[in-house]
Amino acid sequence: MQPDDLSRILAPKLGENLLVVEPFDGMAGRVRFRREGALELFRIVRDELTFTHLSMVGGIDWVDHREVFYVAWSDSVRQYVLLSTDVPATDAHLESATPVWPSANWHERETWELVDVTFDHHPDLRHLLTPDGYVFHPLLRSFKLHEPEELEVKSRHV
Amino acid sequence: MSEMWINMGPQHPMTHGLWNLRVRIDGELILDADPEMGYLHRGIEKISEDRHYNEVVTLMDRCCYVAGLAWEHLYVLASEKALHITPPERAEYIRMMCDEFQRIGSHIMWYAAFVQDIGLMSPFLYGMRDRDLVLDLFQSFSGARLTYEYMRVGGVRNDLPPTFTGHARKILDWLEQRFREYDQLCLGSAIFHKRCDNLGVLKANDCVTHGITGPMLRSAGVKRDLRKDRPYARYDAVDFDVAVADGADVTGRYLVRMEEMRQSIRILRQVVDWLEQHPGPVMADQLPRWLGAPYAPVGREGYLLKRNYAKGVGFSSVEEPHGEAQAYVVNEGSEHPYRVKFRSPVFANLAAVRQYLVGYRVADIPPILGSVDVCVGEVDR
Amino acid sequence: MGQATLYSVSYWISNLIATAIGSILPAGARTVVTSSDVVTGFAVLIFAVVILAASMLNTIMLIWWERKLLGRFMDRRGAMHVGYAGLLQNFADGFKLFRKNTVKPREADALGFYLGPTSYMVTSLAIFGILPISSGWDTGALPLTLLLALAIFSFAPLFIFISAWSSNNKYSLMGGMRSAAQMIAYEVPLLLAVVAVVIVAGSFDLNTIVYEQQNYWFWGPLFLALVVFVAAMLAEMERIPFDLPEAEAELVEGWNTEYGGMLFAFFMLSDYLRALVGSILVVLLFLGGWTLPSWVPSAATSFPLAGIFWFMLKTYLVFGLFVWIRASLPRVRTDQLLRVGWNRMIPLSLLSVFLAALLVTAKCLPVFGCVPSPGI
Repeated sequence: MQPDDLSRILAPKLGENLLVVEPFDGMAGRVRFRREGALELFRIVRDELTFTHLSMVGGIDWVDHREVFYVAWSDSVRQYVLLSTDVPATDAHLESATPVWPSANWHERETWELVDVTFDHHPDLRHLLTPDGYVFHPLLRSFKLHEPEELEVKSRHV
Repeated sequence: MSEMWINMGPQHPMTHGLWNLRVRIDGELILDADPEMGYLHRGIEKISEDRHYNEVVTLMDRCCYVAGLAWEHLYVLASEKALHITPPERAEYIRMMCDEFQRIGSHIMWYAAFVQDIGLMSPFLYGMRDRDLVLDLFQSFSGARLTYEYMRVGGVRNDLPPTFTGHARKILDWLEQRFREYDQLCLGSAIFHKRCDNLGVLKANDCVTHGITGPMLRSAGVKRDLRKDRPYARYDAVDFDVAVADGADVTGRYLVRMEEMRQSIRILRQVVDWLEQHPGPVMADQLPRWLGAPYAPVGREGYLLKRNYAKGVGFSSVEEPHGEAQAYVVNEGSEHPYRVKFRSPVFANLAAVRQYLVGYRVADIPPILGSVDVCVGEVDR
Repeated sequence: MGQATLYSVSYWISNLIATAIGSILPAGARTVVTSSDVVTGFAVLIFAVVILAASMLNTIMLIWWERKLLGRFMDRRGAMHVGYAGLLQNFADGFKLFRKNTVKPREADALGFYLGPTSYMVTSLAIFGILPISSGWDTGALPLTLLLALAIFSFAPLFIFISAWSSNNKYSLMGGMRSAAQMIAYEVPLLLAVVAVVIVAGSFDLNTIVYEQQNYWFWGPLFLALVVFVAAMLAEMERIPFDLPEAEAELVEGWNTEYGGMLFAFFMLSDYLRALVGSILVVLLFLGGWTLPSWVPSAATSFPLAGIFWFMLKTYLVFGLFVWIRASLPRVRTDQLLRVGWNRMIPLSLLSVFLAALLVTAKCLPVFGCVPSPGI
């Protein structure tokens, strides 16, 4: 499956929620989408494109916005696909993929507690790796592991 | 007896790692299960953002300490894609050899712990002794038995010693006959079958929807193995079969792992033959200058302060002994990775514990969790 | 073999001590001290102390034997350093436990917590006063020594349950319940297998049972009963494959999780005392006790303390079989174990009783060389 096949199937269903389908090394493609079309995209990807196995959900903090990416595998075409969306840092909400792929449960818990992206309608959004009641979201760029020392120019992404 | 929640852990001889399994039981029957992870969370992904690309390799050993080289392999594959570097062929074969020996070592460790949990005391020690032979081999070329730090972005740290192939062949012959003894002790025992048959059943459909990979998935009959489906590091050049069973129960997982060990021996014989016949470089030659100098002083005019290297994103997935592991490395043009994200197979296998633990007895927890092969280091990272 | 029994020796020693003490006392006190009641009482005391010392020493040696043998099965050497070949290791372990603090959890019930292990130990030790080790170990004319020994042996589930319940710990309670259920379930096949032996031997007295085996041991005609007895004894001793109540894989230590120090030592010693009792019973009931078959040259049976020597050898070999089983089999789950106990072992043991009765009434025993005794 090529990126063109993906965009051919997804574009009519999602319309403007689909931003672009880029080639990605070794995968069927990288689908960038708008967060409003999340659930619909998940359903189409799982049912029509047969990517039944969601293996990873992760978050990246780009300071002014956060990116959430999903990696799914299809047994029929034996390929991965990467789905990614951006959420603004001030309003970091996204629809949860758990109703579509139950395996997203723990991955989304981890993404919430590390990168502070809240997943709406998640059945059980609580701390997984960090202690209960931990107020920080460690993988944000604003969470510093140590103060910048004079000698090392490490604090470059503020 | 009324229902109650009991904590198995975080200190418990059976759970093999630092995590807490809370089960709600009614007498002996399990009604619900809720694992509590995070006791071993060391923030490997966060620390990696402050480390040089090659320094992250040390962290990967500690990620999953039983299969360290497989995780190193995972990370360097993703970094090489992100940095647009290609390793030489001999390095790829060496990495494959490391992966397969690591698979044998990890599965022997699983076997020892698993049979110890169901009461067989002697094979635990036989397994430990055989695993020591594999660790001897690792020590001969990397200098360490647990935290190898052997792979680098672009290749491996050093070439194998000249005695390596003879040593490896002797170990492979020895292991092949030992695996027959392991099977006799377990599969030949009626008590083993009474305790492990039809236990922890998770059918193929449920496995796939819950993100389960590895021997658990293959024991349900799904023939998925990344080494065949999406070959990395020259797995397309070697000859082997994928181990599948159809019970989807604890015995099925046992059979899958034992067969995987035998297939690993088969792969290793081919790889060792190739390594003997094809000497060559083990490190890519067109590396960026900064990749080889993590400790150059800062402040000097030059490459360490220049930050407009080529950007990239790398994704890799390997068939680790516990299942399918993935890494996603974001390179923003500096000498530290911008974001490193790992997907651990045991993470997903444990997330679905409600599916295969509910409805059984408390006395069934050790065989079932043993068949999942928990390694908490990679769950918590 | 018949002259110097243990009791007569201790009576002789007691007489000596009484005479020695009496010789320095005035006449009235002397008659009191040397009267037969006092001397007998003192002789019984010496006798009991000797048996206590012998059984405790034997238990500690049994632990040594298990550690070394189990180690060899696992391709390692067991205890090596303390004493020659690790013989003093268990004394060192016992001394360590002896000097440790005994911690009682605050919410645990004090009476049950302290009384449980103590009573367990007492009942395990009491059996040794009845079991004969050789023909000179005659404990007195008790016609029902076997029955008494098994009755005291079966007190154990009660005290285990008391200890488990008073620990105030969910795991201990679960372990205690499992343990009590297992032991009670396997008492029945155990006793029925013993009934088979009693039918053939014609008496409940252990001395008589051994005497009846002097031409041919009972393991030949009563092989089924032997197998049932060994399996039931493994369940009673809570050894693998029947050790789920104390399976460390899930319950940490089972019903003795909360015990430390000397109370834990009581449990451990009692476990091995019962293992010793089990092995001794197997030897007494099926392997001819301290006798050897008549075709063995008499030089092997006529050196001093020969009976004790052969008896101990057989006991340690039988225990070695138990250790071998422990090293090679996985654990059976509690419900599977109870199902086997109630559905399979009891019919088998009834079958062995039937076979024994058949052998006796059909007068087939002379085929095995046994001479039946004239009625109970």
